[in-house]
Amino acid sequence: MRRLRAAAVIAAIVLSAPALDAYLKLGTRVGANLVPIRWTAFPIRYFVTNRDVAGVSAPQLQQAVASALGTWSAVPNVSIQSQFVGFTGTVPISGDGMTVIGFQNRPDLDRVLGSTTFTIDTVTGEVLESDIFLNSLFSWSVAAGGEEGRQDVESIALHELGHLLGLGHSALGETELLGGGRRVLGAESVMFPIAFSAGNLNRAPRADDVAGLSDVYGGDQFRSSTGSITGRVTKNGSGVLGAHVIAFNPETGHMVGGFSLAADGAFTIGGLEPGLHVVRAEPLDDGEVGSFIDPSQPVDLDFKPAIYGRLVAVPGGGTASRIDVKVTPK
Amino acid sequence: MHVHLYRLPSVRRLLAIALVAAVPVALRATVLVPIEFRELVAISSTIVHGRVVDARADWVDGRRAIDTFLTVDVQEYFKGGAGETVVVRVPGGQLGRYRTIFVGAPEFQRGDEVILFLRGNPASGAFIVGLSQGAFRVAPDRAGRRMVTSPVVMGTSLDRPQPVVRGDVSRRPLAVEAFRDLVKQVMAGGAPR
Repeated sequence: MRRLRAAAVIAAIVLSAPALDAYLKLGTRVGANLVPIRWTAFPIRYFVTNRDVAGVSAPQLQQAVASALGTWSAVPNVSIQSQFVGFTGTVPISGDGMTVIGFQNRPDLDRVLGSTTFTIDTVTGEVLESDIFLNSLFSWSVAAGGEEGRQDVESIALHELGHLLGLGHSALGETELLGGGRRVLGAESVMFPIAFSAGNLNRAPRADDVAGLSDVYGGDQFRSSTGSITGRVTKNGSGVLGAHVIAFNPETGHMVGGFSLAADGAFTIGGLEPGLHVVRAEPLDDGEVGSFIDPSQPVDLDFKPAIYGRLVAVPGGGTASRIDVKVTPK
Repeated sequence: MHVHLYRLPSVRRLLAIALVAAVPVALRATVLVPIEFRELVAISSTIVHGRVVDARADWVDGRRAIDTFLTVDVQEYFKGGAGETVVVRVPGGQLGRYRTIFVGAPEFQRGDEVILFLRGNPASGAFIVGLSQGAFRVAPDRAGRRMVTSPVVMGTSLDRPQPVVRGDVSRRPLAVEAFRDLVKQVMAGGAPR
């Protein structure tokens, strides 16, 4: 397998400032270590599959991808560059050492609008290739205002490119059951893993997405201008693993999510605007835990949501006093 | 730098309401099309409870991608199926030093106890419905009962919308037997209301 020139490398040792853990980040195991995926060589060079689908030509797909990459690049205080190399006859998810984005017909994945893959050298941690496919089984659109019954290319590309940049899924979303089906009511992140109804747009990163991307690529200015909350989620005095913890700023309406990822229930939510925050802990009992956390971990789903009893003051460039969010069993 | 916390108990309820109300209904599609449990049962041709006895990665599509082929030793078919084992194809896997990560695809290890909702040919390589949505893991609880770790998300009414609320006390992990009974009940058209 040919190496991707100037490709991404694993960056655990590159992070000079403490990781904020504002967000779930994609990672891989290199030896005994679990390390995050992060691009360190820019521009990210990508190809687009030269294949049209009904309603969307390959050049239109390329324009939508470029727009989505531009959206991520516009996040303040991060530095990301990308370069469209050209159209290619190859499809995504191929072992050719190229980063390819394109439509592909995947009837075996008939509930998947799109997905991102990485090919990684598990010895060096080097990312050899990353590809994104959009499933041509669905109807697509690049209309500026969306198109009834069709998925918006740029919205899905924005989500998948978030993965390509190293972001995992966010749990900041709500769903409802209706008529034997399920649909998304709302989300406070473009990285929420399940789809809204076709015909709508989702082209703007929210506070949670900005915190996540800044956590991976942000510089000193980001770290000095934002703060974090640390603490534990506990039930009957013991740590709760896998709780979704939300920091909500009632002044701005912004939310940033995190998870308790240790057996003692410890969590950190970073990338927060200075100011007062409400902190809430809730179980991930409404979906597939594996979308967020390694399902082999003993994730605790047996507790009621709880709001920490005080507002938490987040300082700029610092960390609020540790808090203990107590939850009770269902 | 550390700062003190401010006690404002009188506004807790107000803030709780604000927290919920602040979730808008404006944002759109991401990656998966969600599946309700009845639909999951209906569109799956095979539903199987068993244990992964082999997980083997291989090149597919003319050596352009790596998938993992699971062999599942069948304990019980809840729907369809025949044979003592089924073969399930999952995107991604590791061959030698190279690993392909398919974001969102479930990963399994030899020995994992699972309930899988499948389509395709279980003799040569069925696939899991909805990627991770059709994969349920089984693990013992403190009492040693075999429990399906992810709760079932299923409405009690087909006629009116029902928000899926995290922490709903009625939504709990089910024992394997109760899960099987629920599947059978849904197949018979008698899902609980």
